[in-house]
Amino acid sequence: MTKILIADDEESIRRVLKLNLESKGFEVEQCALGNDVVRLMRSKAPDQRPNLIVLDLGLPDINGAEVLREIRKWSKIPIIVLTASDEESLKVALLEDGADDYMTKPFSPLELVARINVALRHHKGDVSDAPIFESAGLRVDLPNKSIQLNGQPIRLTTTEFSLLTVLIKNAGQVVGQETLLREVWGANATENSHYLRIYIGALRKKLELNPGSPQHILTEPGVGYRIV
Amino acid sequence: MDHDRPDPDLLLKKMKDEEARTQSGRLRVFLGMCPGVGKTFSMLRAAQSKMEEGCDVVIGIVETHGRADTIALLKSLPLIARKKIDYKGVVLEEMDIDAILKRKPTLVLVDELAHTNVPSSRHAKRYQDVTELLDAGIDVFTTINVQHLESRKDLVEKVTGVPVRETVPDTLLERADQIEVIDITPEELLKRLKAGRVYLGDRAERAAENFFKQDTLTALREIALRFTAEKVDHELQQFHDVKTNSKPWQSSERLMVAVGHSPYSPFLIRATRRLAYSLEAPWIAVYVDTGIKLNSTDQEQLAKNIALARELKAEVVTTTDTDIPQALKRVARQKNVTQIVVGRPSKRWIRDFIEGGSLLERLVKDSQDIDVHVIRQEKLQLQSGFSFRNLNFESGFIAYWNALWFFIGIGFLSGFIEPYIGYRAVGFLFLLGVLTVGRVGMMGPVMFAALISAVGWNFFFIPPRLTFSISTPEDLIMCLTYFAVALITGTLTSRVRRHELLLRDRENRTNVLYEVLKDISTSSAKSEFLERVAIRIGQVLDGEAGVVLKTRDGRITERIEMSYHIKLDDKELAVAQWSFANRKVAGWSTDTLANSKYLFIPLDGNTEVVGVLVFKPRLDQKLSVEQDNLLRSVCRQLGLSLERHFSEKRLIEAEKLKDSEKLHQTLLNSISHEMRTPLTVILGSASALSDDAVMKTEELRKELASEITSAGERLNRVIENLLDMSRLNSGALAIKKEWHDVHDLITAALSRVNQIRDRQRIRLNVSLDLPLVEMDFRLLQHAVSNVIFNAITYAPGDSEICLTAEVTNGQLSIVVDDRGPGIPEESIPVLFDKFYRVPGSPTGGTGLGLSIVKSIVEFHSGTVTVENREGGGARFRMLLPIGELPAMPKEKDDEDFNRR
Repeated sequence: MTKILIADDEESIRRVLKLNLESKGFEVEQCALGNDVVRLMRSKAPDQRPNLIVLDLGLPDINGAEVLREIRKWSKIPIIVLTASDEESLKVALLEDGADDYMTKPFSPLELVARINVALRHHKGDVSDAPIFESAGLRVDLPNKSIQLNGQPIRLTTTEFSLLTVLIKNAGQVVGQETLLREVWGANATENSHYLRIYIGALRKKLELNPGSPQHILTEPGVGYRIV
Repeated sequence: MDHDRPDPDLLLKKMKDEEARTQSGRLRVFLGMCPGVGKTFSMLRAAQSKMEEGCDVVIGIVETHGRADTIALLKSLPLIARKKIDYKGVVLEEMDIDAILKRKPTLVLVDELAHTNVPSSRHAKRYQDVTELLDAGIDVFTTINVQHLESRKDLVEKVTGVPVRETVPDTLLERADQIEVIDITPEELLKRLKAGRVYLGDRAERAAENFFKQDTLTALREIALRFTAEKVDHELQQFHDVKTNSKPWQSSERLMVAVGHSPYSPFLIRATRRLAYSLEAPWIAVYVDTGIKLNSTDQEQLAKNIALARELKAEVVTTTDTDIPQALKRVARQKNVTQIVVGRPSKRWIRDFIEGGSLLERLVKDSQDIDVHVIRQEKLQLQSGFSFRNLNFESGFIAYWNALWFFIGIGFLSGFIEPYIGYRAVGFLFLLGVLTVGRVGMMGPVMFAALISAVGWNFFFIPPRLTFSISTPEDLIMCLTYFAVALITGTLTSRVRRHELLLRDRENRTNVLYEVLKDISTSSAKSEFLERVAIRIGQVLDGEAGVVLKTRDGRITERIEMSYHIKLDDKELAVAQWSFANRKVAGWSTDTLANSKYLFIPLDGNTEVVGVLVFKPRLDQKLSVEQDNLLRSVCRQLGLSLERHFSEKRLIEAEKLKDSEKLHQTLLNSISHEMRTPLTVILGSASALSDDAVMKTEELRKELASEITSAGERLNRVIENLLDMSRLNSGALAIKKEWHDVHDLITAALSRVNQIRDRQRIRLNVSLDLPLVEMDFRLLQHAVSNVIFNAITYAPGDSEICLTAEVTNGQLSIVVDDRGPGIPEESIPVLFDKFYRVPGSPTGGTGLGLSIVKSIVEFHSGTVTVENREGGGARFRMLLPIGELPAMPKEKDDEDFNRR
């Protein structure tokens, strides 16, 4: 059974999340303090540890970001961060520090469950190894470089394809725009967010039925993109 | 009856004076006719009895000169340790003024008021230390000998024949609440002297001999007693003035004295001040800049003289004119002067002849309504007779050299044409030459030119040639007349020339002031005009300028505005702080803390000091009087402008505060509506959900859940708006612009419209080919969603809302149309104001949403407008500039790579 650790100092939030997660078949553990999270992760045997942590940033003892960095020193356990601030730079920093995903309060528990599933799949290696991405009429076969929308072959430029590749390797998860720029255009291009906008726009025109309201390539404002 | 009533203004003035005096410390002066009368002893005795009364007395500095009785007295009083100052390898001791200020006693004893401090001390003179102590509210007992009184200096010198170097301005003595003459008879003093009970210091024997003679002592005693009597008389007069009705100034007299670079000037200044004091009249010291360049010694003397006048509380006026009497008369007229004080002028035959009378004669000639006092001139050891200075060598030998060559040229030319025109006509050629020199050169070269042309003409052209002798009497007369004519015309031309230069100089100075004013008035931000003014000061005065500003807590900042070369260390900052706190000029080239590298001038506004101007000279060369004046005028201007600026800022801050108070008020009000309403819904629905009957009905349960959801969303929206508003208000919101896809913007804005029912009402009409726009995504998303919400809230439940995004006239236009009730015409101009709500709007809502939209759009240099649509409803239009997209890298192969 998959075990989720919820770290939040608000008991009501823990209770709501526990209810929602247990109803989806997860086993739930709870922590109210950041130090408890670190201690719990350290003290338990690997097979006793939780499979994923839902970590609130505003913990009373040590900041959630501290906890994240501390755990990332030695563990790759998927971590989804909860924040009350919609400050973009904060989110970007969290992703850089190794968070798998983040959610801004208030959020829908259903959305959290979906993110948890994606993160778990990634951690198991289900997605990155899977060379083929299929979603609502869109089929991308990375090894064969074949892209189809509703059975119709789609042609992409080299840049568009490498951009799509980075997104699909992290399918379902947000990919920070700096990461995208670095992977596709190189380390010097991380400031040039307009490259990304233009190529994402081009990709949407080719891959989306309605490029004005995209279904596959979603924007995480100020943070990055996510393909679903 | 009426006449006996005191003038309320006068009473008020006296009360204010007294109040100021009680706030600042009280000064008691022990005055003696010469050393050895027992001033220090009397002071200590007085202090002792004060201490017995319970007063907190300390000794700042007292010299005992080894007298046993004085030492015995000294032991009974607490002492503040002297400060050791290392000056050129010698450790000297001075009074520790900082320690005293820190200790803050009620009364401090400071011996020998006229003492000159060690050069690296804070003040040059001890009396300045005393002034600062008094200003800090500390009472001071001090001692002084009559010879050190500024106004009695000349008299004492005459009596004793010993020059007096250290003086104390009378203004400080006037501040004294009590002057106590320590009086003993000369016989008694001489007895003491014989008994070896008088310390003579390291003064020369002869000086002492001069001093301690019966008749000298008698004269000194008279001076001391007379000074005190005058002071008492003056106080009595003041008291009388308050009791009887009279004007603040006893007399309607106004005195004026001309100040120059002459060493006689201080004498005149002191005389005028004495006269003004006895007449209780205001007085003016005028310096006339004639455009003649002064050498550095003269410059220094001039600066000293002006400083003296200022110190003695004269109104100092500087003016520029080549003609001194005319300038004096002009100033006298402007300032309603009734009496002019001048010295007895020395005769200068040629100049006086050229100028039409001596200074005195010309001054007296047509100023019938002004009294002219001629003060006797004391003989000073001065060079007399012909002074090379008049030749003005500062203009450089090069001018003389050039003049010489010029005349050699004219000589050759004349040699060629002399056979045709005759030797007499040649004289005119030479005269022309003299005039030309007068046009370009100063007085010296002109006189030189007149001389060599006369000599040259005589030697080379007037027969017999190549001799200095002249054969015919008419030639002799002609040659002499020629010399006079050349001299006079040359001098006059040179004068005209100098006048022009002066005018240009004055214009330049006026220009600088004007430019400073313009800088200030055309700059929008404080930092901007400060920088411009600093650069201008730096250019004009050859140095660097910066400003330290006052902070809110009344201190001054360490941060230097607008200068990269000035760095203040702790010590310099302390000087700045001192200048700021005492409202006095300090630092380089002043009497206070003169070893600082910088000059600090307080920026005085009308009511407060707003900061300190820091000036760093490039060369260590004192500023000339004109430069000093200019700097002061600029500082005055800067002070006033900054004060105005600060008060404006305070006003804005007060407005902001009012706004934020209103924000808080609204927040509180909206809690009752905007927050409690959804909370009630949530609580109600939750309690319904716990009802078993409800739980059984699937439909009801779903409905309740959706009620909770939408109430939660509504709460979230209120919170976001309030957060946005307070952030926008405080200006803390850092705007972060990046290039973004407009589609993303609209999608994100719509995602904030949470209810599916509402989403379905929105028809999108978004052009597919929209360019990227540089924006702060999160802010603009809030703006767009606020407009959409507005439409959803006000338009009837099922009516369509249309969102159009397109490019019009090179701008991005986002238009939201609804079919709601529209906006009443009178509300349109104020619709985007903070807290404004259209009358009759549904309850709920804070009146913040649209004002946030406006702020955000304006952050993006865009506009938002509203109009009523034909057929009903409102149209909100946001227009945003698009800007030019930076370059994109060329793709290596922009071909379809999977076409192969």
